[in-house]
Amino acid sequence: MDKPVLNISGLAAGYDERRVLTGVDLSIPQGQLTAIIGPNGHGKSTLLKTISGLLRPSAGTITFQNRRIDGLRPDQIVERGVIHVPQGDMLFPAMTVLDNLLMGAYRGGARTDLNARLHDVFALLPKLKERRRQIAGTLSGGERRMCGIGRGLMAGDGLLMLDEPSLGLAPIVIDQIYEIIFDLCSAGRTILLVEENAQRISERASSIHLLDNGRFVWSGLGTELMSRPEIVEAYLGA
Amino acid sequence: MEVFIQIIASGLTLGAMYAVATVGLSLVYGSLNMLNMAHGAILTLGGYLSYVAIQHLGLNPVLALVLAAAVCAGVGLLIYLGAALPLLRAEGFETNIFIATIGIGAILENLMLKGFGPYPIPQPLAIAGHVIIGNVHVPLQNLFILAVAVVLMVAVAFVLERTRIGRAIRATSMNREAAQLMGVRVGRVYAQVLAVSGALAAVSGIMISSIATLSPVMGGDPMLKAFIICVVAGLGNVYGAVLAAVVLGLLEASTQYILGVRWSFATLLLLVILVLIWRPYGLFGRTLVVRL
Amino acid sequence: MTQIKRDILFGLCLVAIASVLPFLFPGRYVVTQATLFFIWAVVVIQWNLVLGVGGIFSLAQMALFASGAYATAMMGFYWKVPMLLAIPLGGVVTVAVGMLIGLACLRLRGPYVALLTLAIAQVIYVLIVNDTACFTSTGGCMPLFGGVRGIGQFGDIGFRTLFPRSWHIAHYFVALALLVVAVATSIVIIRGPLGLAFRSLRDNPGYAVSRGISRFKYQLWIFAVSAFLTGIAGGFYAVHFRVVGPTVFSFQLLLFLIAMVVVGGLGTIWGPLLGAAVLMLADEGVKELSEYRNIGLGLLLVMFIILQPGGLVKLFSPNGIGGRVRKACSRVRGRSQVQNATSERPTD
Repeated sequence: MDKPVLNISGLAAGYDERRVLTGVDLSIPQGQLTAIIGPNGHGKSTLLKTISGLLRPSAGTITFQNRRIDGLRPDQIVERGVIHVPQGDMLFPAMTVLDNLLMGAYRGGARTDLNARLHDVFALLPKLKERRRQIAGTLSGGERRMCGIGRGLMAGDGLLMLDEPSLGLAPIVIDQIYEIIFDLCSAGRTILLVEENAQRISERASSIHLLDNGRFVWSGLGTELMSRPEIVEAYLGA
Repeated sequence: MEVFIQIIASGLTLGAMYAVATVGLSLVYGSLNMLNMAHGAILTLGGYLSYVAIQHLGLNPVLALVLAAAVCAGVGLLIYLGAALPLLRAEGFETNIFIATIGIGAILENLMLKGFGPYPIPQPLAIAGHVIIGNVHVPLQNLFILAVAVVLMVAVAFVLERTRIGRAIRATSMNREAAQLMGVRVGRVYAQVLAVSGALAAVSGIMISSIATLSPVMGGDPMLKAFIICVVAGLGNVYGAVLAAVVLGLLEASTQYILGVRWSFATLLLLVILVLIWRPYGLFGRTLVVRL
Repeated sequence: MTQIKRDILFGLCLVAIASVLPFLFPGRYVVTQATLFFIWAVVVIQWNLVLGVGGIFSLAQMALFASGAYATAMMGFYWKVPMLLAIPLGGVVTVAVGMLIGLACLRLRGPYVALLTLAIAQVIYVLIVNDTACFTSTGGCMPLFGGVRGIGQFGDIGFRTLFPRSWHIAHYFVALALLVVAVATSIVIIRGPLGLAFRSLRDNPGYAVSRGISRFKYQLWIFAVSAFLTGIAGGFYAVHFRVVGPTVFSFQLLLFLIAMVVVGGLGTIWGPLLGAAVLMLADEGVKELSEYRNIGLGLLLVMFIILQPGGLVKLFSPNGIGGRVRKACSRVRGRSQVQNATSERPTD
């Protein structure tokens, strides 16, 4: 079993008076694709936001590479190597694609490293290179998604957390996005993926966790999930 | 022809002073969503500090300017630490900081009233002499103000576009959470922006008082005009604000000539109201599409 | 007992106490100060409706007050309208002014409204003060709106002739009656459907709009309603002091009134009244140190908004200073924090 790189224990978090996460335990192994699925509104994005520091947990601990990160500021958590590509991209709309990517590398990296990383990102996402001088607010849905992922890649190595990369995209574009994600997997990146639907990732994910009402109700291999139609129906619809 | 040059000369000068006063305000609103109602008082403080530095400390004008700017940057920082930071943690930040800065401005203004008395005094940081352009006497002070303003605006633009700090400020203004996820320490950005805004306010205060006079209540009008400029340009739009400042300066000079000083503010305001009715988000502002 | 009944009972108690006051302290000073307190309380209660309930960031309250005052005075001065008629008419004029300002500003978002209303108030002030053209020459040159010296000699309600030695007590009760009406309107609005509409607009604007609540219409409504009583307060102020001038536009006064609303409690029914009382008393107390008055006001404002933004009425609620002190004490005593029961309900 690969060494776990992120460990979450007893995590509780929410907004104002609303409790969303009610007791979450999770271990994410290095170099693998871990997926979190579940119906909307039950805490998937909240979980990522709590890990990346946008939300403060009300209970529980989060450790990354054996150091606690719960309670730290988001910029400190990014410094440790936890990269959150948020739902809906959250690009900087008035900046160019290039500037957005450069912002991804904000937290350091020497000049040479920066250029190398940019080169790698453009190699993986050639469309971004084409449109690097375009204002981010004018990109299409798929291009925006690529820009968001590219921005996350610019932050260097570390845990990459993707929040619903297929959200709002046409199926053919989703295929493209997932091709890129699976390429990253094959290259050995540690990825935590959040999706509403498990279909596309059930083959590739090393483990899938089902989040319902703020806690995990099922965990296992992707292939297992597909062989349990009752779970699929109960929680994920058709 | 002479009238034209006169209007351009005073209009550009006014515009330059307003631009310097407005940029800080716009930056603060863009990144923090904060309307700093203490801006006028800081502006006045800058003017008085330069007076004290030159009259009582015997410093040379350049040093006086730098000192005033530095102290006012410090005041901006204090406002961040003392007011903005605690209020950011709670709800209703926009309203609360608005009211808090009204109070802070009142405190500063009345301290200056107490310290320097209510009577206007001349600003010692001024250049005497004229230049003759096409038969019109243009005071050197105006050109000096214009030059300083241009240098400052270029510097601000450079910092915003080409430096890491500037990118962090722009990113924070566009999307605070995304900026945090990039590793930007937004608290520090806020402090920097408030400090810069304080420094710019000080400089504009020195400029304005060098053309008019120094008095404890001089900050109210320029601050109001700066806010109006920001609103017309679209709150948070820094470059638009500079443009709008110049336009407003020229407009004010023209209406002052045509209608007299008394009516210029009223006319300006009427124009602004009409613009806002036509375009509620300002001339260059963007409508925000909010997902529910 | 329902909330409204509690409010009414509390109000009646206050009125009872207030009715006895002038007979306990028949001296002119206490009674006139109390009258002034009633007038400011009316203004602040109306302002609270606009700012706290309606969420409209308006700084034009004093401009509306002045509209009522000036309208009343000018009707009396130029057209010899009796004050009993002029004051309500002044209220109507103020509503018109309020609606104009509202139409110009209310399409804009929060801070824009603040700036615009501030600018409008400032312009009105500048126009009045800078107008030096003589409009009439009764008793010397007087501009149309009175200029710097203001307008005087426009008439009286009649109590001065009726009760030559205790007219101030009659004015006291008029002001008290005004205050009662103001508080009653406040209760009806806050506890009634209009208050509910505004809370829904604040909590979930999209849903509220989809249910037919038009933010613009409701804001204009509340702006107009509050303008009426503010204008009447202004008219009465003019009659009481027998002169109206541009001093009502002073920033000092604005600061004083904002402090009342903030210290008392924005958005609540009794908050503004409490704030007005506290601030009038505090003002009395520091009369000696008048130089530091504004600094003190500013400090009070800043401290309250940062430490106790809910105002004095929320002093002992969980987020107030009292509540936080209580929590800290219980933690010191070692009591464990109350664990929230986890809810099994889905979160949306």
